[in-house]
Amino acid sequence: MSRPAEAPLVNWVTIVWDDPVNLMTYVTHVFTTYFGYAKGKATELMLQVHNDGKAAVSGGTREQMEIDVDAMHAYGLWATMEPG
Amino acid sequence: MRGFKRSGEVIKVRLSDYETAMLESLVDQLSELLAVDATEVADADPFVRWQAELDGGEPLDRDDPVITRLFPDVYPGDPVASAEFRRLTQGKQRTDRQRQIEVVLSGLADSQAGANPIQVRLIDFDDWLKTLTAVRLSLAVRLGIQTAEDAEELAALPEDDPRAYIYRVYEWVAYFTENLLGLR
Repeated sequence: MSRPAEAPLVNWVTIVWDDPVNLMTYVTHVFTTYFGYAKGKATELMLQVHNDGKAAVSGGTREQMEIDVDAMHAYGLWATMEPG
Repeated sequence: MRGFKRSGEVIKVRLSDYETAMLESLVDQLSELLAVDATEVADADPFVRWQAELDGGEPLDRDDPVITRLFPDVYPGDPVASAEFRRLTQGKQRTDRQRQIEVVLSGLADSQAGANPIQVRLIDFDDWLKTLTAVRLSLAVRLGIQTAEDAEELAALPEDDPRAYIYRVYEWVAYFTENLLGLR
């Protein structure tokens, strides 16, 4: 696969998917604790997951996103990654 | 479960002996599910055990839906890359989970079957939350909860349905978790 030379390296996102098990307060806690997001932003992302079924919660290089997805799994969130 | 209270860097809660034993049993089951096969390396020297842990032991059984929920595919539609990711990360995930499980089990043991309050130190807060969450995810898979409607149907089951009891346990763990989060 070829990639244009000007393509940014920062082109992956971590996706968190809605599930019926994880508590809304818990998901917000994970976003503030792991990503260091302010309460408002964390709550907004949590609601996006809840209402839209998923949300992109972080972006960066593929290697960075692998670390984030791994961390989300450790918290029990259902997370995947994809080119952003 | 009563008397949730935070004093300084510690959250305290009183569990009955029955509740303590129940939670202990659930956490033990989680531990067994994720265990690196102990029989294989039980007598080996520490370095061999450590190496086995690094390798992640025997791969977890992905026919078990609890395992696929705790370790979902990272790359949807790319099972090969997802398996490779797991090969590199699962060993550490499992040893981290076992360490967190030990924190919870020793906290439960310290309460001496409900004689003393459970003490959740804030530095251990996420160890408790991750363990309780993994327990709830396991119960949810066993109960077949895939949608919010599934959970509502379980809540409406008659008392004598065997799933009704497991569902109450599932809700009890949720209540415990919510109360911890409320005092963070």
